[in-house]
Amino acid sequence: MAHAAQVGLQDATSPIMEELITFHDHALMIIFLICFLVLYALFLTLTTKLTNTNISDAQEMETVWTILPAIILVLITLPSLRILYMTDEVNDPSLTIKSIGHQWYWTYEYTDYGGLIFNSYMLPPLFLEPGDLRLLDVDNRVVLPIEAPIRMMITSQDVLHSWAVPTLGLKTDAIPGRLNQTTFTATRPGVYYGQCSEICGANHSFMPIVLELIPLKIFEMGPVFTL
Amino acid sequence: MAAPPEPGEPEERKSLKLLGFLDVENTPCARHSILYGSLGSVVAGFGHFLFTSEIRRSCDVGVGGFILVTLGCWFHCRYNYAKQRIQERIAREEIKKKILYEGTHLDPERKHNGSSSN
Repeated sequence: MAHAAQVGLQDATSPIMEELITFHDHALMIIFLICFLVLYALFLTLTTKLTNTNISDAQEMETVWTILPAIILVLITLPSLRILYMTDEVNDPSLTIKSIGHQWYWTYEYTDYGGLIFNSYMLPPLFLEPGDLRLLDVDNRVVLPIEAPIRMMITSQDVLHSWAVPTLGLKTDAIPGRLNQTTFTATRPGVYYGQCSEICGANHSFMPIVLELIPLKIFEMGPVFTL
Repeated sequence: MAAPPEPGEPEERKSLKLLGFLDVENTPCARHSILYGSLGSVVAGFGHFLFTSEIRRSCDVGVGGFILVTLGCWFHCRYNYAKQRIQERIAREEIKKKILYEGTHLDPERKHNGSSSN
């Protein structure tokens, strides 16, 4: 989860998120250099004694400031498209979970190996135990195995919601009447938090998502099925 | 960027953000690129000034040198970093396979020894 006043990305828990962080670093370095150049140009403009109010031609400069941004955009676009297509790769998921957004809770369905369906409500402040996270912890977590490709089918029963878990690099809209799909493979065990990411009414901020990722061996023993 | 460190874990370095957003301490290769870029900028700018005695043009050369050297170091370092990550991933997978299949016919070492003796 994010710590207080965190601005940057959370640590990656999936290979896709690692790639996204790498791309973010790449884009940020390019942005930094452009900002540095613009700041320098501003400084020159403010400190020059040369003024000519009759300049009409600047062909070379115009060529440079057309070609150079095009090159910069290509440098940013190529890795971006690579990751975009990587997120859409079909990788034969081991498990499919359905996630249904409601006002204002999530329902999860594990229908691959049985008919487990449960709701996941945010824990109200009065019900929090010491150590629980306010506005993040839920009564029933989504328990999933690590190192296994998992498919999430996301939809909504009423209005638009969005199922997001930043550490996995996931954000998928829950649209009524439509099934959206996202896949991921978690690389480390732990408890990971997300929040609804599409405005959906009064309690939009109070329908978090909590994933509990456990080793496959323990998941196979069936803890998720003993609610 | 990361959660607060657990007891016993090495502390995350205090972040230094250039222009308020580029975290050079916690971004791999950023510090290395910016430092080499600064060095390149000083060398290029000062060298130009020594030859021409033009201050403004030397500053322009210095800024240009900073951008080019930083970009060059950045791409070079990130390429090697990506290669290293791939090698680490392959090594992790091989170690896992070795632990799982040791002593069986799927043991990677047995397969490797078998192919080298043939």
